[in-house]
Amino acid sequence: MSTYTIPVGPLHVALEEPMYFQVQVEGETIVGLEITAGHVHRGLEYLAMKRNIYQNLTLLERLCSLCSNNHPFTYCMALEKIAGIKIPERAEYLRVIADEIKRIASNLFNIAMLAHIIGFDSLFMHVMEVREIVQDTKETIYGNRMDLAANCIGGVKYDLSDEKIKYLIKQLDKLKKPLEEIIDIYMNNKFVRARTEGVGILPKDEALRYGVVGPVARGSGVNNDVRVKSPYAAYDRLKVNVPLETGCDVRARAIVRLREIQEAINIIQQCLKDLPDGPTCIDYLPEIPAGEAVAKSEAPRGELIYYLRTNGSDIPERIKWRVPTYMNWEALKVMMPGNKVADIPLIINSIDPCISCTER
Amino acid sequence: MERNIREEFSKRLTRALGKEFSLRWETDSKGVITGWCRLHDARHITNVALIVAELGGRVITITAYKTKDEQQRDNHEIAYHFDLDGCTCTVTIEIPWDCGKVNSITPILKSADWTERELQELYGIQLVGHPNPKRLFLDDSIDEGIMNKLIPLSVAMQGATTKTLWEKVFAAISNEGDAE
Repeated sequence: MSTYTIPVGPLHVALEEPMYFQVQVEGETIVGLEITAGHVHRGLEYLAMKRNIYQNLTLLERLCSLCSNNHPFTYCMALEKIAGIKIPERAEYLRVIADEIKRIASNLFNIAMLAHIIGFDSLFMHVMEVREIVQDTKETIYGNRMDLAANCIGGVKYDLSDEKIKYLIKQLDKLKKPLEEIIDIYMNNKFVRARTEGVGILPKDEALRYGVVGPVARGSGVNNDVRVKSPYAAYDRLKVNVPLETGCDVRARAIVRLREIQEAINIIQQCLKDLPDGPTCIDYLPEIPAGEAVAKSEAPRGELIYYLRTNGSDIPERIKWRVPTYMNWEALKVMMPGNKVADIPLIINSIDPCISCTER
Repeated sequence: MERNIREEFSKRLTRALGKEFSLRWETDSKGVITGWCRLHDARHITNVALIVAELGGRVITITAYKTKDEQQRDNHEIAYHFDLDGCTCTVTIEIPWDCGKVNSITPILKSADWTERELQELYGIQLVGHPNPKRLFLDDSIDEGIMNKLIPLSVAMQGATTKTLWEKVFAAISNEGDAE
């Protein structure tokens, strides 16, 4: 059979952001893949080294929209490590709450996109409608539907009054039932299963070799959840169950994301129950001495790392971050071969790609 | 588990490199352990990669940066951030400005692939032995080693955006002046 190369992207109806794939096919079966990246490279690491450490807080939140909270969060943790700042306990819990709310919204978005790609548009609409509960919650508590501006150096910029806590509990309760129904559809609906089961296999040994992270790793039975492996903020005092799947396919990754939404709701409820009183932020503008630090957090897509070098001035000497999706692209070369052309967007979506994050 | 892997890493490093490195471990208030290691000879990075691979670790990312050496000459350093079962160990090497080469660890640790390609295009440090050393993000029309150069912020941010913003700011200021 002849081999052809099909170009997919950089602009493609099923891709949310630009990425260029050259897919080698034999008939309808994929046999190889080349990835060309760089269409939304904006030189953000360079920009971050030209701004001062306080301005960067705003810049980094605008790196991406779906996981926007994790960037300032992790960046602040790196700065706090260098300056030896201990943030108030209440702030640690509030940071976790903001992060888990973002995780719910981000995972629901990816799950909705899966339904859209397989042509199940009523399910897509339904999941997006459920996601609106989370969007409304963010708007009510933080004043914004995407960028929360929750973090600052030494704590958080928001607080939860008793009224807002009641509201948040009510919103989380509102999510639970529709979520259970959605999970049932993704796990048991025969059309969804037919399109997602056994598609885009990433065996566990390959997941380890490629160093994949987040739900992509956990869908292949690899647990490298930063919240458990290297706890930060209030996670050392919270019970975090890590859902692991062994299917290694598109379905397994989707189920992990859905289970993580349920787990995020549990985590927020624990936080609200245990939320200590006290200040939400240190009461001075800290000076950051010379030093270096590494900070990690578990973003919706997996492990995010910040490496920061300072020299005593307020301009960082080097600021480097690696987003979770960065590690997951190359693994597409394992997931794709053997699948059909029609599954290309589905498999790409299963790594929950964030290109503006990856390329910076 | 973390404690064992930390000891195992230190032991194997001593066996492979003798005294050709410095290593310290930090534990934060959550009990998370972070390692900081510096190699005296940049060529030893492949030995470290082999040890990380034997211990089942992976590359989280690699940071290259421009700095000064002890004689205040321009210099590159590369910090390799390895994951050893949740424990992050940063291994730093120096690359003299006139050398500009480093051995690729991608043949040993596949997880280094993209991040090595990125440091090559951003800092112009040549990778020796990388299986796919082509550009990652930057177009061929952009010079290799762009991060070594000084690019004015206004250029980096695209002048048009900045100009529009300042026009708005000036307009707002002049209106305030009129009101007074």
